[in-house]
Amino acid sequence: MQLRINNRVHAIPPAWRDETLLATLREFLGLVGAKFGCGVGQCGACTVLLDGEAARSCLWRVADVADRDILTVEGLAGAGGRPHPVQQAWLDENVPQCGYCQAGQIMSAVALLRAKPRPNDAEIDAALADNLCRCGTQQRIRRAVHRAAARS
Amino acid sequence: MRRRTFLGLGVAFLAGCSLPVIPKRPDPTPEAALGWIRHVDGRYVLSLPRAEIGQNIATALKQVACDELGVGWDEVDLHLPATTDIAHVRATVGSDSVKDYALPLARACATLRKAVAAGRTEGVLTAEPRPIGALRAFAGRARHVGRAMPLEQADAIVRGAPVYAADTRRPGMAHGQVPRAPATPEFTSSPAAWDAAAARAQPGFVALVEDPLLRQGESMGLGIVAETPGALDRIEQALDIRWRTDGSVGQNEIDERIDIDRRLAGGSLSYDLVDEPLDRDGPWDVDLRLDVPPAAHTPIEPRAAVAEFDDTGLRMWVGSQDIFYIRDVMVRRFGLDDEQVVVHGRRVGGAFSGKTICTVELEAAVLARAAARPVKVQWTRGQEYRQGFHRPPSSHRIRARVRHGRIEDWWHGFACSHIIFTNAGLPPWLQRLTDFIGDRGVARGAIPPYRIGRRRIEHDLERLPILTGPWRGLGAGPNVTAIECAMDECARRAGQDPVAFRLAHIEDPRLAGVLRRVAAAANWDETRSPPSDGRGRGVACGIYKQMSYAAVVADVAVDNGAVAVTRLWCAHDCGRVINPDQVRAQCEGNLVWGLGMALTDGLPVADGGVAAETFAEAPVPRLDQVPPMDIVLVDNGEAPTGAGETAIVAATGAILNAVRDAIGIRPTRLPVTPADLLRSAA
Ligand code: FES
Ligand code: FES
Repeated sequence: MQLRINNRVHAIPPAWRDETLLATLREFLGLVGAKFGCGVGQCGACTVLLDGEAARSCLWRVADVADRDILTVEGLAGAGGRPHPVQQAWLDENVPQCGYCQAGQIMSAVALLRAKPRPNDAEIDAALADNLCRCGTQQRIRRAVHRAAARS
Repeated sequence: MRRRTFLGLGVAFLAGCSLPVIPKRPDPTPEAALGWIRHVDGRYVLSLPRAEIGQNIATALKQVACDELGVGWDEVDLHLPATTDIAHVRATVGSDSVKDYALPLARACATLRKAVAAGRTEGVLTAEPRPIGALRAFAGRARHVGRAMPLEQADAIVRGAPVYAADTRRPGMAHGQVPRAPATPEFTSSPAAWDAAAARAQPGFVALVEDPLLRQGESMGLGIVAETPGALDRIEQALDIRWRTDGSVGQNEIDERIDIDRRLAGGSLSYDLVDEPLDRDGPWDVDLRLDVPPAAHTPIEPRAAVAEFDDTGLRMWVGSQDIFYIRDVMVRRFGLDDEQVVVHGRRVGGAFSGKTICTVELEAAVLARAAARPVKVQWTRGQEYRQGFHRPPSSHRIRARVRHGRIEDWWHGFACSHIIFTNAGLPPWLQRLTDFIGDRGVARGAIPPYRIGRRRIEHDLERLPILTGPWRGLGAGPNVTAIECAMDECARRAGQDPVAFRLAHIEDPRLAGVLRRVAAAANWDETRSPPSDGRGRGVACGIYKQMSYAAVVADVAVDNGAVAVTRLWCAHDCGRVINPDQVRAQCEGNLVWGLGMALTDGLPVADGGVAAETFAEAPVPRLDQVPPMDIVLVDNGEAPTGAGETAIVAATGAILNAVRDAIGIRPTRLPVTPADLLRSAA
């Protein structure tokens, strides 16, 4: 079995096929950008894109995403490691406090901007409300999404 | 290095006997500070003497180091040290990292700079005393201090590079979990029966671990080690553990035991903070109650640790506010020497005073020893609630008499469970001893910063059957919230504007300063007529640990009992600001926490313990609940203090006062819910 992640194909041995996508990314492949926060789809720390749409990787079994295009935060950067506009906006706004939620926030923002290149505050709130941040970076997240939208 | 290989169970029993390990709290010395900064191959390495928990202290201290060394931002590399890399530093708590570590670091950098300038690039330096006026970082010539700088580790964070404990991967690493009875660790509980054969038959099974060191509080766990995280769940299911538990507790018991009116009816409370003679009988102009429930810290990172034994000892990767405490616990429990235990502190994914004791770290070490492999353990969200400690519930009664526009009498009684002397760390017999001196964490912030005729401020301490301990700001959040609600009612009673009324009572000019600044920023209008459309505005202010000042104005809209905070303003004074952008970030975080205290934070207790499993039962503020926030920084050049827990003291009160302004109802219980508001309105 194989997974297509960030435009690369990875062979997945049998021991990992029943695992969640999150566990496999982190523990088998070493792609630790997606985080474990709740394991039940409530916090968004584990967000990745499946065929371009935001998905909670803690809810997906590896065997069920074998034919999907998986994008993780590690796959966002452009040529030569240049940060993706959303990553750059997060750096410019100094968004992270502890930072644990931020890879998930960034992936949800990427998905939002693909669907709605110029979202307003209400659309941002609706799209990212299920990405929890306990540190209180919400205001900067909103600003960073606007900044990324203005740039792309 | 001496080696010990006799890590048998018997020794563990002795070494691990249940005397608690007490955290040491050394002050930073000039000699220790010299170990934080090194000159290596023409570059500088800053070994961060504080835990990086999201306050971005790495960035702030690097700013100080760069200015004092007189070098550019790219010439200093950040290193998150292990316990063997620097001298023992105390836990990163209480917003004291800038206050207590910036100056020693600057002095060490000044010494190093002088040595390097003199051509000395090897050897160990001795500390030289230097007055603050002789330090470049604080002398007004700074190139980095006083500005926003790129955040250390932010690049790694936005790219998903490994920086947290759970991101650690070791060759041959297995995964561990320690299921425990679904009961508070205050009750004796243990696994009574389980199906070991079914567990062993699961693919990925590595080991089942019974070990006396898996007792936490009175809860004995059963360890599981597996090849993959998913196998842990399957094995736990197959085990089908039946638990033996000796107690039960529900919400009512907690509420009753903490109920302030019941306690006051029984006479005086145990701890007098201020005892001026006032008439406790007779009529009061203001008489209000505020009940605050237990609440979880809810870092988005559930605690995690990786442990690895080899023939030199134990190595660990942890997300802790106190890596030296973790080291000390390992030393004691495994009978090792200090230098045989190497604890690497990694960036912490949110801590909020919750990651101050040793829990998951000991589980990981026990499992790693049993499996003879590196083991990673990360708690589930449910374990965070059931096995972690929480903000203690508290219950407040404040009574006041107002004469001629001034507060004449003030009586604040409250009951709370322990904070600094937490039952998560201290057994009952030891807590009975600490009870002789009280608990300064519980008392924090309880003395109002106002000129008042006569004051009586007293409280009780009650060990509850759920675990309680330090939570962002300790007692200051709930205590100042209660005070600020009462101040608002006193102002009403006096027929005065709440800002003007506070200003007339404030003693400290810095507190008056932030209050004036926030009123100006929010266009506070003393002549405003009461609203009628469900919209309201409130103010509150406070001093944190006698060192930092905040005032907050909140606007709310209340619709059918549902409270929306529509805007927040905050003025904040923590003295000399090293990184204004990050002080703002801390203010924003505190405002969101204050909003959480007001509207979301709470933990249900049922069936023998904390009964939350997921965010559904213990919600935190979401993006759509967080309004625009305006932060005003006041910096008149006083010595730098701290910003990590200041604005929380004013944010909740401002929101509650805005609710009162909007609909005329004084919330008496947190979090404020539509059901409570509608009931009070009826
Ligand atoms: S870990 Fe997947 S949503 Fe929380
Ligand atoms: S930055 Fe800490 S949880 Fe979002």
